[in-house]
Amino acid sequence: MADRYLTAVNSGVTKTVAKKLGLPRPAHLRRYRAGDPLVPGPVLVLGGKPGVPDAADDVAHALLGWDLDVRQNADADTRWGAIVVVLTEITSPADLSGPVMDLGGALRRLLPGGRVVTVSRAAGDDDSPTLAAAREGVDGFLRSVAKELRAGATGNGVQLTDGAAPDSPSALAALRFFLSGRSAFVDGQLLEVGPAEAPAATDDSPLAGRVAVVTGGARGIGASIARTLARDGATVVVVDVPAAGEALAKVANEIRGTALQLDVTAPDAGARILEHARSRHGGLHVLVHNAGILRDKLLANMSPDKWDAVIAVNLLAQLRINDYLLGANGLSDAPRIVSLASTSGIAGNRGQTNYGYSKAGVIGHTRATARLLREVGGTANAVAPGFIETDMTASIPFAAREVARRASSLQQGGQPVDVAEAIAFLASPAAAGVSGQVLRVCGQNLVGR
Amino acid sequence: MTRVETLPALPALGGLYARGLASSGRIAVRRTVSSGAGDLVLPDVTYRVAGVDTSVPDVAAHLERYRRVVGEPAGGTTSAGNPAGVPAGFLHVLAFPLATAVMVRGDFPLPLLGLVHVENSAAVLRPVRLGDQLEVRAHATNLRPHRRGAQVDLVTEVTVPGEGLAYRGVSTYLAKGVDLPDTSSAPGTEPDARGEWVPPLPTARWSLPAGTGRAYAAVSGDRNPIHTSALGAKAFGFPRTIAHGMYTAARALAEVGTGRGETYDWTVSFAKPVLLPSTVDVAIRPSGPGGGFTYQAWSGRSGTLHLTGAVTPRS
Amino acid sequence: MATNKPSPGRSTSTTPGTDAVIIGGNRIPFARAGGKYATASNQDMFTAALEGLVARYGLQGERLGEVVGGAVLKHSRDFNLVRESVLGSSLSPQTPAYDLQQACATGLEAVVTVSNKIRLGQIESGVAGGSDTVSDAPIAVGEGLRRALLAASHAKSLGGRLKAFASIRPGDLAPLTPRTDEPRTGLSMGEHQAITTATWGISREAQDEIALASHHHLAAAWAGGFFDDLVTPFRGLTQDQNMRADSSAEKLATLPPVFGKRLAASAGGAEPTMTAGNSTPLTDGASVVLLGSRAWAEAKDLPVLARVVDAETAAVDYVHGHEGLLMAPAHAVPRLLARQGLELGDFDFYEIHEAFASTVLTTLAAWEDDEYCRTELGLDGALGAIDRSRLNVNGSSLAAGHPFAATGGRIVATAAKLVAQRAAETGRPARALVSVCAAGGLGVAAVIESA
Repeated sequence: MADRYLTAVNSGVTKTVAKKLGLPRPAHLRRYRAGDPLVPGPVLVLGGKPGVPDAADDVAHALLGWDLDVRQNADADTRWGAIVVVLTEITSPADLSGPVMDLGGALRRLLPGGRVVTVSRAAGDDDSPTLAAAREGVDGFLRSVAKELRAGATGNGVQLTDGAAPDSPSALAALRFFLSGRSAFVDGQLLEVGPAEAPAATDDSPLAGRVAVVTGGARGIGASIARTLARDGATVVVVDVPAAGEALAKVANEIRGTALQLDVTAPDAGARILEHARSRHGGLHVLVHNAGILRDKLLANMSPDKWDAVIAVNLLAQLRINDYLLGANGLSDAPRIVSLASTSGIAGNRGQTNYGYSKAGVIGHTRATARLLREVGGTANAVAPGFIETDMTASIPFAAREVARRASSLQQGGQPVDVAEAIAFLASPAAAGVSGQVLRVCGQNLVGR
Repeated sequence: MTRVETLPALPALGGLYARGLASSGRIAVRRTVSSGAGDLVLPDVTYRVAGVDTSVPDVAAHLERYRRVVGEPAGGTTSAGNPAGVPAGFLHVLAFPLATAVMVRGDFPLPLLGLVHVENSAAVLRPVRLGDQLEVRAHATNLRPHRRGAQVDLVTEVTVPGEGLAYRGVSTYLAKGVDLPDTSSAPGTEPDARGEWVPPLPTARWSLPAGTGRAYAAVSGDRNPIHTSALGAKAFGFPRTIAHGMYTAARALAEVGTGRGETYDWTVSFAKPVLLPSTVDVAIRPSGPGGGFTYQAWSGRSGTLHLTGAVTPRS
Repeated sequence: MATNKPSPGRSTSTTPGTDAVIIGGNRIPFARAGGKYATASNQDMFTAALEGLVARYGLQGERLGEVVGGAVLKHSRDFNLVRESVLGSSLSPQTPAYDLQQACATGLEAVVTVSNKIRLGQIESGVAGGSDTVSDAPIAVGEGLRRALLAASHAKSLGGRLKAFASIRPGDLAPLTPRTDEPRTGLSMGEHQAITTATWGISREAQDEIALASHHHLAAAWAGGFFDDLVTPFRGLTQDQNMRADSSAEKLATLPPVFGKRLAASAGGAEPTMTAGNSTPLTDGASVVLLGSRAWAEAKDLPVLARVVDAETAAVDYVHGHEGLLMAPAHAVPRLLARQGLELGDFDFYEIHEAFASTVLTTLAAWEDDEYCRTELGLDGALGAIDRSRLNVNGSSLAAGHPFAATGGRIVATAAKLVAQRAAETGRPARALVSVCAAGGLGVAAVIESA
């Protein structure tokens, strides 16, 4: 989808005019391209104490292992590609002041497309009030910082749980995701990472040898997910209703995967998905529940078929397929389930009671499914897209579309690939410590959390 | 004893038609004058052309055009390794100018342009091959009364010198309204029972376009205006041009296919003419265990019979 | 005539070597002429069918042994239709291909020929199929214009060329659209079948019953998801356009006859019975079938639905009315059964191509006719009757439509899935008899067995 406004305020005369008028000026986002550096400049790691080996040093050390230019002291000249603030060792709100002032001093020299990432610990039930305040405070701090960033820069946080080490593989995988162009439209988000054994994050075919199924894979976000998973090395089975078969075949052939024409609401959908994945590709490791429909109506005007259809496709089908796969031990070898939720399911949306219910339901079952999968070493997560430029959003009336686009910190809609990148990250073996989470891909939309 | 007149070459049909027109007028005048007189006699003459050379490229090209129009397959070779014989219909076409020459003689008693071809019977006694030197003869015989006028047979013969008679064709024409002495007892040779005739199940259907007459005229030389021009057809009482009877018969012969063998008898009798353009239903079926085929063609729309005939292998 | 001795044992593969198995099939939904595919070429449609197959079985970049198929109505530029389709597909460009054409039997004959090569060990895998469009059919210049243009192109001088052009008459400029008439008889296939129908005395009601069953069976199969892994939508068409799920005997009975209208007056004729409802409509579409050796399928982790056991092609002498144009399958089947040591009743499914409802009925009537089977088929007596409940159980050409060369692939893929499903249900092998009649008095029959 072309965002002409975004193009206009970034080029030529219109750029000057927009600047003078103080119009919102969304930036071109830095997106992942194979071969590009992980970040556009040196990385400043804050939060450590000089001369004492601490968590900041561990993180800095890990970053050095990615061939980055890592500094722990700000200077007046360097323009930063990213600033990582390690706050895992704070014990009181009073500890924040130092690293926060350092961050503030360096922010002006953050490069376009730069990154601010906090690494902190989530407040736990056993924390003392002071510790809990110190840790929970990071949440509000980070979300506020993210709103101050300009020029396509984003701010996100890694929240460690259950004593996970800041340099554990999954924590570093989350950090790497936030630093990279893969998280271009993820902004103002805190992602919980628990302790888990996992291989190190890599850009080099992280999904090699994995078999992934993407429902609703014929077009839009689903097709983009399929392409991204395939790019990351997965063998992808794209699933869509038989009527979408022509587009589905194109996607399958493009990514050298296989097409499975199937209505996910069919009673035997899980069995057929598993049979296909096993017999043709030797197993099923990643399942992306992307298939979804909209039947918008004000609740006062809602008909049962509109309600039921949305619940059946967006929620019941996921439940039934998961039930079957878990019951049949269908998912193997550190499986991953990623479901598409929506900001509508978090914040609600007028005319979308059915859709909002279904998407909030997805978030609910994701947490529950995560617990079930933990037993077999797997994860379940949800991704909640905000305003994404697709055929579907292109049909929204112009004014409403413009409002929706600009109503985020990044002042633009996301691309399908932004959602796909988040899913690919959650599907990767390195993300083993991320489970039961809802990762918003919304450019820090104003609505919801 | 019939007098044999040898011509130097087969005559050109164009000139004959001019003479035919002239003599038709003369005969018409004479007939008016001598109406009712029973003094019509055929000229006692046989025209003969020797040394008709079929090895020249013109004849080969002519045969090729003829085949294309009537649907004869390309000749090829026989199982014995000889070149296939030319179809009987082509021999009819080859000898036709000589027969016409007889009919345009001043002493031929019937008008050429009023003659209706009602029957034809041909026999291929031995194959005539492209390249043979042929002797062609033609004479008129058997002038006889008919219910609707007078009939005459034009006999053409093709001989391969040293081998003998190869082809004999008898074309029966009707001159309507010409009185012979004993017309009261004349038999009606036309299939008058068309009311009772019931078409069989067809085996084929011919879609004959408006230009069918012109196409066959171009390869047969028979440019009678009833076949080639709507105006000409109207002048003789037809609403549109009509197909040459011999075209329809030749097409039926072609569609019998290889089952006719190298030597065969081929007969046809013509009922109602085929107005062009037209769709004609056709039945060509084996006539029995002895080999041979019968054929009928009729209007599928009205069930009117156009022609019937047979192709019978001689060997 | 049926002189082959039955082989010992029933239904054994007649050649040594390996089995040719059917892995799956794909087609695009069939469109009515001038419908959704009005601007699609044979190559567009064949490529689409192939691409759907590649996507279903993950054959991207695969060098298959061979792709074989064809079209009945074909542009001269499509001389390498199948190879060009392969080059436009996601298969390896190193996949060889060739065109084959046997009128309406093109698709089935392609299946036979590919499986034979597999059984001989010459190839390990192959695709057989066909495509046909009547909407994008070639238009030829008239014979006069064609000859003049050829003469002009052969002429050595300007004068010669001018002379050639001067020979063109206005009437020569009228284009020629392709006809489905038999070249040797000038009768359309429908008229031929109308004669056969009259000869066998097949009733209008019996024909309408076949047509109705075809629509209802096909609609039920669609609704049941049978075609979910056999069809890939194309150009917005997601189901067979000709299918009328709501068809009824009453509606069919109102249709006027379209063939054999002149036969009522003929000796041995009958009132016309063949309507647009019990005859196949002109249709556009394409289909392909993926075949391979068992070892190849295993190595590629591909499913195996069925194997091609054997096939027989027959031709009949229809030119002078001795036999009906579309009666060749009646001849092919007994020969095939004899060679395989099978009886007509030994099948779980009968897939008899519905060129016309009466084609099916005259074929069945012929097999039940003692006299006919003795004199025409050289049998000792009637071949027998079939269990009608096993006939075209998921519909056939009357409902799906009949894009000539694409029909064989449709039927083979359907039959293969049917026997695979039946075998899975019962745990016993299942077997299907397939037959397709074709122009020129041709007919192909095949035996397909669950693998």
